Amino acid sequence: MFRLSPLRLGTLALLLAAATGAAFASGFAGLEMLTEILILAILVIALDMVAGFGGMVSLCHGALMGAGAYAFAMAGLSLGLPVWAAMLFAVLFTGAVGWIVGAICAGSQGIYFIMVTLAFGQMGYSFVFESPIFGGDDGLAGLARPDLSALGIDLNTSRAFALYCLAALVLVVLAAAQILRSGLGRALVGIRDNERRMRALGLTVWRTKAHLFGLSGMIAGVAGVLAAQHVMYISPGLLAWTVSGEALVVVILGGLGTFVGPIVGAVAFVVLRHEVSAITPYWHLVVGLILIAVVMSRANGIFGFVEDRLSRMSARRAARAAAPRGEPHDA
Amino acid sequence: MKDKLIGVLAGLCAGGLAVQAAAEEIKVGLLLPYSGVYAALGNDIEAGFRLGLQTFAPETQASFAIVTEDTEVKPPVGLAKARKLVLDDQVDVIAGVVSSGVLGAIRDFVHGSGVPLIVANAGNDEATGEQCSPYITRMSFSNRQVNRPMGDWLHAQGVQKVFTIAPDYAAGRQMIGGFVEGFAAAGGDVVGQEYTPFQKTQDFGPYLAKAKASGADAVYAFYAGGEAISFVKQYDSFGLKAAMPLYGAGFLTSPLYVEAEGPAAEGVIAALHYVPTIDNPANAAFVAAYKAETGRMPSEYAVQGYDAARALVVASATGAADREGLARALAQVSFDGPRGTTAIDPATNNIVQPIYVYETVAGDGGLTQKVVAELPAEADPANGCTLSTTN
Amino acid sequence: MDFGFWLFQTLNALQLSMLLFLLSVGLTVIFGLMHFVNLAHGALYAVGAYVAATVAGTVGYWAGLITAPLVVAELGLLLYWLLIRRMRQSGPMAQVLVTFGLIFVLLDLTRIVWGDIALGIEVPQALAGRIEIGGVTYPVYRLFIIALGAAIFAALALVLARTQIGAMIRAGVDNDKMAACLGINVERLFLAVFCVGCGLAGLAGAVAAPILSVTPDMGLQILIPTLIVVVIGGLGSLWGAMAGSLIFGFVQTFGAVLLPGLASVLIYALLAAVLILRPAGMFPARG
Repeated sequence: MFRLSPLRLGTLALLLAAATGAAFASGFAGLEMLTEILILAILVIALDMVAGFGGMVSLCHGALMGAGAYAFAMAGLSLGLPVWAAMLFAVLFTGAVGWIVGAICAGSQGIYFIMVTLAFGQMGYSFVFESPIFGGDDGLAGLARPDLSALGIDLNTSRAFALYCLAALVLVVLAAAQILRSGLGRALVGIRDNERRMRALGLTVWRTKAHLFGLSGMIAGVAGVLAAQHVMYISPGLLAWTVSGEALVVVILGGLGTFVGPIVGAVAFVVLRHEVSAITPYWHLVVGLILIAVVMSRANGIFGFVEDRLSRMSARRAARAAAPRGEPHDA
Repeated sequence: MKDKLIGVLAGLCAGGLAVQAAAEEIKVGLLLPYSGVYAALGNDIEAGFRLGLQTFAPETQASFAIVTEDTEVKPPVGLAKARKLVLDDQVDVIAGVVSSGVLGAIRDFVHGSGVPLIVANAGNDEATGEQCSPYITRMSFSNRQVNRPMGDWLHAQGVQKVFTIAPDYAAGRQMIGGFVEGFAAAGGDVVGQEYTPFQKTQDFGPYLAKAKASGADAVYAFYAGGEAISFVKQYDSFGLKAAMPLYGAGFLTSPLYVEAEGPAAEGVIAALHYVPTIDNPANAAFVAAYKAETGRMPSEYAVQGYDAARALVVASATGAADREGLARALAQVSFDGPRGTTAIDPATNNIVQPIYVYETVAGDGGLTQKVVAELPAEADPANGCTLSTTN
Repeated sequence: MDFGFWLFQTLNALQLSMLLFLLSVGLTVIFGLMHFVNLAHGALYAVGAYVAATVAGTVGYWAGLITAPLVVAELGLLLYWLLIRRMRQSGPMAQVLVTFGLIFVLLDLTRIVWGDIALGIEVPQALAGRIEIGGVTYPVYRLFIIALGAAIFAALALVLARTQIGAMIRAGVDNDKMAACLGINVERLFLAVFCVGCGLAGLAGAVAAPILSVTPDMGLQILIPTLIVVVIGGLGSLWGAMAGSLIFGFVQTFGAVLLPGLASVLIYALLAAVLILRPAGMFPARG
């Protein structure tokens, strides 16, 4: 069941403090990296909701993010909606797409689920890639950032935009925690652990999965809107399956189903990529090797590893306290 | 008013560089793909650029420092790297940009920040048309420029009906559009057109069958890189070459990968702004130096890098060393280089250069390019570019 | 657009199908036996193409055609000992991610070894030129691909149906634990099947090299079509791989002719439909 343990809360507070500090202290390059991390963190929170807590390993979250970005762009450029309305539209649209995909895929398990979501993601990619109205491979330019000048904030500066993304991430974390704590989130974890039992308890499994996938899609849509506003330009590459793959990598790197871990993973991944690509053009090689090592280590990512160690330590301590002179027993 | 505003903005950006300018060191950001599908192009452009700086640097007082960044051929990455070069590395000038997608993504940023950009490949027509900027100078080519004269020339060779084929993206459509414009104006007839999914097509069989059934006299194609190799080989293997000669934009049989195409490329006639066999002293010197440096024949990509570097040297020799000054000087550049007389059109900041029609033929050391015709240089129409009225 | 045109396109579709079959059969049998999806299968195909191009450039085409599958099978052996063996008990997600990482490693290794410039090799003399069938002239080499694919399909079907090793593989696909209890050395069987599957990917690369360009990202390009074939056909099934390949080849080819611009969307829609209606594919290996 989902619980925000002191360790998780503490890490979240630490990350928030670090991000705020970085937003005020770093120069341009640091702010760009921070923004990249924040947007990626939003995407992987969405993915962890379904993959970590629902056991639905999705290979279409990159495509969902891309759908959000394109929905935002089209709402602004073609429908002429004002920026805030376009953002709302994009998030709702992505949520709807996520709900449909989730509902259709709800019956599939394991590797088949991965494949179906991959198929849907690629379908979206091909559609965007081959439709002239979306600008095809050349993408769409001229996207707007919201105007916060009434508050005295100019979002066209890197610092303000990074803080804006940070605010979005905080909202997303709160929303995700609320969702996972709700009845819906508990039902989802129940399904992950034993689908048959939940069915026997009278739960409409597919509906729960679809609802969660839809909510996760909305969060991915937020990431898409921010990505579009960050670059102010979008291209079909946003929807490519490798983006979904990378998002999954980040979740694993940080710790699947640990809620906080994926954010840690996003930090580690972006920093790692920047550092390695500054040294060699073959950075894919290094990142690939690290990924293989992490997955093969069988630890549940960086945060999962720490959490596991700490909980074992405290369990041992508790055991020792409970039985000071007794037999050593297995915690 | 607008002009003044840009000037003020550019002045603000350049302000931090006053100290550097006094030292006469010009910091160049090379924005190229070093990974992804265009990595080979990025490497060729960089080799040409470095050779160009090395060759021509004595002509100016300034010295140069180079920072390289990898765009990965992804527009968002390209934009992030362009921002880094300008805001973090504080470069005086950016050179490079292979894909039109990346150029489209960075255009507004470059224009707004007032950093001169020397485009060393990307050929999208808008960049020197409706999207033109006093800060963007193109030393490579525009899609239309390479293909339009070929339409005229091909019709003069007695070809009445053509079938066109190209990848389905902006560059593909502009290349074919330029050709069709010239060909139709000359009185030719386009009997069929096919656009294949960009970078998704490996098997051209289905499309070639359609071309064959179209009853055209010839096929006019644009492909580049891996797709060009597959296309040229498959065109030959289906036996179409004998019945319908293959013509195209010269990237189809670029020296960079013509060896991989092998005999299938023999006899293909294409138009391009550069081939290594152009007969002039500047080109002879360039080819010899490039071969000594890399062991390869220079491609059109290498010459674009080489000329981009030379344009920068020529601009800095006027005394310009800051962003604003370099941008103004770059628009006036003109020299006799490997491609013949090469000049920037101040009305669009696009290059004006002759176009060479060449045939790929078997030579002593493998395939080589025989220049069939030199088509006179033509400046692109302004197409909505208003540089000449505001400047 | 007469009969000849459609015959021509049918041959094109068959040729594409057979190439995809060579790739997908290895992937699908490995899955059937080991429940392991190897996303790096496409990268092995690229390695095969590069090895073939290198050997063909120095020794000759036929030497390349033989060397490529052997080298890639060796590479498979190496991967098996280093990674796959340890990943057998992990869930599908861990396997997908390890082989996803492997894609990037192999991609960059091919770039380091062979560079970024595309390579190409010539069709061998014996298979150059064209012959006439049913009123259309068609390249001999493409017919060779069709024949090779069909021959390998027949050989594999025969081995699976008639030989002892085939019976062992079928037993393993059906129930690997039971097979192990019956005294079959399942681990060795896995290794053998994995190497053969990788070798076939290498063979596909070598066969494709003369008609396509050999580039570092060719493996990434072919991966998705191969996965689609395997999933449509049904994971683990030889007949499924053939059926999936034919469906993909014909939809892709005729889609490109009749509905240009929609061909690939059509395929994904088909895939989604198959997965919804028959989640285990059209010819699943197990009931």
